[in-house]
Amino acid sequence: MTTPAIRATGLRKQFRQADGTPVLAVDDVDLTVHPGEIVAFLGPNGAGKTTTVDMLLGLTAPDAGTVEVYGTSPGEAVRQGRVSAVMQTGGLLNDFTVAETVRAIAALHGRSDRVEVVIERAHLAELAGRRVEALSGGERQRLKFALALLPDPDLVVLDEPTTGMDVGARQEFWQAMRADAALGRTIVFATHYLAEADEFAERTVLMNHGRIVHDAPTTDVRAAYGGRTLTFRPPAGAVGADGIDADWLGQVHRALEPLGVTDVDVSAASLEAAFLALTADDQPIGAAR
Amino acid sequence: MTTALSAGTGAAATRTDDGVRPAPRPRMATYARLDLRRQLRDRIGMFFVVGLPTFMYLVFGIGSADPVGSGNVAMYVMISMAAYGAVTATTSVAGSAATEQVMGWGRQLGLTPMRPVAFVAAKAAVAMAVAAVPVLAIFAIGAATGARGHWSDWVLAGALVWLGSVHFAVYGLAVCLAFRGPNAPGIASGMIVILAFLGNVFTPMSGFMLDLGRFTPLYGYVALARFPLTDGWLPVGGRDPLWLPVANVLAWTVIFGLVALWGVRRSRART
Repeated sequence: MTTPAIRATGLRKQFRQADGTPVLAVDDVDLTVHPGEIVAFLGPNGAGKTTTVDMLLGLTAPDAGTVEVYGTSPGEAVRQGRVSAVMQTGGLLNDFTVAETVRAIAALHGRSDRVEVVIERAHLAELAGRRVEALSGGERQRLKFALALLPDPDLVVLDEPTTGMDVGARQEFWQAMRADAALGRTIVFATHYLAEADEFAERTVLMNHGRIVHDAPTTDVRAAYGGRTLTFRPPAGAVGADGIDADWLGQVHRALEPLGVTDVDVSAASLEAAFLALTADDQPIGAAR
Repeated sequence: MTTALSAGTGAAATRTDDGVRPAPRPRMATYARLDLRRQLRDRIGMFFVVGLPTFMYLVFGIGSADPVGSGNVAMYVMISMAAYGAVTATTSVAGSAATEQVMGWGRQLGLTPMRPVAFVAAKAAVAMAVAAVPVLAIFAIGAATGARGHWSDWVLAGALVWLGSVHFAVYGLAVCLAFRGPNAPGIASGMIVILAFLGNVFTPMSGFMLDLGRFTPLYGYVALARFPLTDGWLPVGGRDPLWLPVANVLAWTVIFGLVALWGVRRSRART
């Protein structure tokens, strides 16, 4: 058994709001991630994803619990260049150019030899001379991704990595990530885009109110809470100007067979159903549908 | 190791074993050089650091051959303006360092092997390099346009202006940690203009304004820088004993230091 990439036990973190009321951002989180896994942290805003990520990276100290990254403290793993991250907010200086930003952070990692490699990997070559302030949101994310690749880390943590990207940029970004995962990197990413977890992660950790509410292979999460859905197209005569004919719909309920249903399509339910079921407030898990 | 890691199969092999990687050493000199170039490229910032004090020297200093202490008025104005430029430089470099930290660059740096002490050292080196620019430029212009004094006045005043400007790096940190946000370095340098008037830097003051000015932070630093030339004599008559500017500098260093410490504590508490 190899050392896990991440082993966190009993993580807890409390913040004080502006008006002084304490908020429990992360409440008793246990998590183990093995080398080579691709794990999605899924949850609505305020679920505690960013705080958890910060503790995994050693940027925030937990109030209780322990974190080990490759068997050492997060800070030590960062110093060894085994872990890096793409952060959600801030993190860039506007008056550096793209190339200067990469060179500056490369110097701090002592890895100036990797400047060319990561610029190419993040498709930044044409933007190298541009000032950071002139970049679009998606281009900024790509730059941060390039910075994260500088130490050639074993584990990359991405916090809402595709924020501000359009559909095309998002696809391109995940393509680059997939290529990287194929090289054996461990990838943990926080997102509130269900499709990203659904498409990219092998394992999904659902968080809500600072707790892990479900942790399983992505297909299991989908299957356990979404079940299977049957989709069919009604005959043309049953569809009027104001939607599907109610009488006809009543008939559907009574009997399926003789109604001339064409083009039946059976598909897996979306992860969205599972997500809504698990994160709905004041409802027992699984009872939303 | 480098090529193997980025090559694929080699990467997988290295990744699964538990061997400790050798921690690479941060190259602070490269970082400091890039950062220095970024600061020097900032045209508006450099206008206040070099352009404005040079202009003021040209207006008030050139051709003023009246004697002051062991030199002349041009020399007196030259030292004052170089001091203003140096202080603006350290204030804005230190201030922007604090603001960068608060605005999120600090998180990026937190994910590198660099230690915070090394960051402070690099920023201090950048601040002193930027501060040297107005001192060298204005002293050179002064030497070419009739500023006269004993050779020891040149050396001591230059050293005091340059090294003493460190004191305002602490001020820049304090102000930017107190007023957080992207405008904080601008506020800090803007306040330097007011403090320069109050501190007897731009125009000689007298009476009540002079009495008040003695308690403001730029007064002690500039008076100390001019001390080798003036021996404490003021343009409007009267004389400051040496302990007065020294006490001023020490007192304000303590005050700025305490405010900066409080600011650091406060910014830590948030995260």
